[in-house]
Amino acid sequence: MRNRDLSFWLFLAPVLLGLTLVVIVPLIYGTVYSFTDWNGLKATKFLGFENYLNLFHDKEFLDSIVFTVGFSIVSVVLLNILGLGLAILVTRKIKSNNFLRTIFFMPNLIGGLILGFIWQFIFVSVFSDIGEALKVDALQGWLSTTSTGFWGLVILTCWQMAGYIMIIYIAYLQNIPNELIEAAKIDGANSWQRFRNITFPLVAPAFTVSMFLTLSSSFKIYDQNLSLTNGGPFESTQMVAMEIVKTAFSANEMAYGQAKAVVFFIIVSIIALTQVYYNKKREVDM
Amino acid sequence: MKSKKFYAKMASAIAVSGLLLAGCSSSDEGGEGATSGDKIEISIFQGKVEFKEQFENLAEKYEEENPEIDIKIETVGGGTEYAPVLKSKFSSGDEPNIFNVTGPQDVIDYKESLTDLASTDAAKAALDGTLATVTDGEQILGLPFNQEGYGLIYNKTVFEEAGINPDEILSFEDLEKAVKTLDSKKDDLGLEAVFALPAKEAWVLGDHLANAFLAPEFDHDVMNSFNADTVTFEKGDEMKRFVDLQNEYSVQPVLSLDYSQQVEEYFSLQKVALIQQGNWIFPSVEQMDPEFAQNIGVLPIPVEGFEGSIPVGVPNYWAVNNNFDEEVVEASKDFLDWMYTSETGKEAVLNDFKFIPAYEGYDTSKISDPLSQDIYNYASEGKTIGWIFAGYPSNPWGTGVIGPNIQKYLAGEMTWEEVQADSIAKWEEERSK
Repeated sequence: MRNRDLSFWLFLAPVLLGLTLVVIVPLIYGTVYSFTDWNGLKATKFLGFENYLNLFHDKEFLDSIVFTVGFSIVSVVLLNILGLGLAILVTRKIKSNNFLRTIFFMPNLIGGLILGFIWQFIFVSVFSDIGEALKVDALQGWLSTTSTGFWGLVILTCWQMAGYIMIIYIAYLQNIPNELIEAAKIDGANSWQRFRNITFPLVAPAFTVSMFLTLSSSFKIYDQNLSLTNGGPFESTQMVAMEIVKTAFSANEMAYGQAKAVVFFIIVSIIALTQVYYNKKREVDM
Repeated sequence: MKSKKFYAKMASAIAVSGLLLAGCSSSDEGGEGATSGDKIEISIFQGKVEFKEQFENLAEKYEEENPEIDIKIETVGGGTEYAPVLKSKFSSGDEPNIFNVTGPQDVIDYKESLTDLASTDAAKAALDGTLATVTDGEQILGLPFNQEGYGLIYNKTVFEEAGINPDEILSFEDLEKAVKTLDSKKDDLGLEAVFALPAKEAWVLGDHLANAFLAPEFDHDVMNSFNADTVTFEKGDEMKRFVDLQNEYSVQPVLSLDYSQQVEEYFSLQKVALIQQGNWIFPSVEQMDPEFAQNIGVLPIPVEGFEGSIPVGVPNYWAVNNNFDEEVVEASKDFLDWMYTSETGKEAVLNDFKFIPAYEGYDTSKISDPLSQDIYNYASEGKTIGWIFAGYPSNPWGTGVIGPNIQKYLAGEMTWEEVQADSIAKWEEERSK
């Protein structure tokens, strides 16, 4: 055990203080308020679990959970396939290697809100112009139906996050000892066999990391959702985070929104804690 | 024992860094009194970003005339953000002296903090009906910002070329005929479609469009809709055919068409001839094409029994916070009075703010843009439909219930009967809470 003297705590203090004030205190306040009828100005009575019980027959909230889960599953699968694909591409010995890595990573540097507006323009205007020129009806009317809204969000998320996931896979791919690949080559394995039997098992730990990373981030998406579809059409592409904001700030039911947020917090923490648990386990295994 | 030491160290560390951080913050704001030195400080927290600069300029003029007053203005905009920020200011004790209230619900929520403004000159000069929302018995708890109105904004040149006289469009049949004429000639007129219906925006459908057809059953009074236990859709069929008309002759697909496309891409570039919007679009149109902006006008929304009328209302009110010293409260009232009743103030309201005044005693021939002028004319002739959507249930019924329901209707996922039935049910559910 390291010696935790005063200087240790002094260095830690600013972060600890920030975390306490910005995360822990509001969390406690919020949880307390979720048991009352708080309207943002004052709480007049204690309601117990009433807000929480109402959640279970709130169709909008349940719909948003279903939508978010569906979205998360699809984007987690696609993101990992894309991330791994890109990582394999840029670890090959091609000239524009570094350039490509930068390009693929770049979308990650743009804020979600701006990305949403850029893609809104692409989906609504560019898609329809291309569709008109090529006479493809499927490119018309994007974002005006629930399914195109859903796929729009998936495409946007993949485009933004794939580069980041790629970096994780690159790290693992570069750790594969060259001897193993060479030995397999000498044994006469073709490139698919080498990928299937050597590369794939050795990057498996990266799956765990990427999977939970993408899972928890797709669950928490708000800004992309806001600027791309704003929940439309008819609130059918509304994710949990956005539903909570609407309950609290436009329907003005602060305490009820807070109860939803607590439930959401529990769901996200379960995902995150599972991730930590599995990662730790892997570390021991290896 | 070890853990005890751990907590002691952690606590002292937090305390030390707290002191360090406290050193960084600026000096105290002066607390409750809000008087800094000899000056009386008035803090204003307002939500209309569009006239931020002009408003600040006017406040500076007031400070020059009244050197003992120091006005601090903070603007947080866009309607959706203002309310939560105001709330957090109140709950954290950083209350402004003058702030905005928008509807009956705000008046109830902030009632304990609102000063009676009945004695001000501005309240006496306010036009008939503009104070309904903020009247509580004898008390008047707010002063109207301005008037706003919406209808069908049309391209005068296109109407002329198509040989349609806009003054003759009063009933739904007139409108339908005009729309069909425009549609048949749209290639010659260079139009993509007649309308641009921004069905992506729930507020255009739920707040504005629905309001025009619901106002008659609430007698045009926002307090009636605020207190109503139910809504009957007396004019539901008229609402339906108006939605259908806009949808049928609109640029498609309507469900992904938003406000900025409607106003900028389609109307300002003259690809459509008619849009359902209000006078607030004028600056956007002017920015796109200043010449065209002088060539537009407002047509009425066809509601049977109210032909030739448009919905006109007050979007926002000024309120004075009474949780301060008498002196500061009086100074706040004086400033609002000066803004709406002094010559300097009136001129700024008309020419700089470009407001449609909600008060008597203005030279209204000076209203600068054609949309505001049209709307003022409708208002002064009494051809108005009330704004009752501020009295919708707060679930929010306009943008959260009927708006999305009309969107579903347009997508073919709901019949009109279901739209009405579901909207009525949600209204009653919220009001029975």
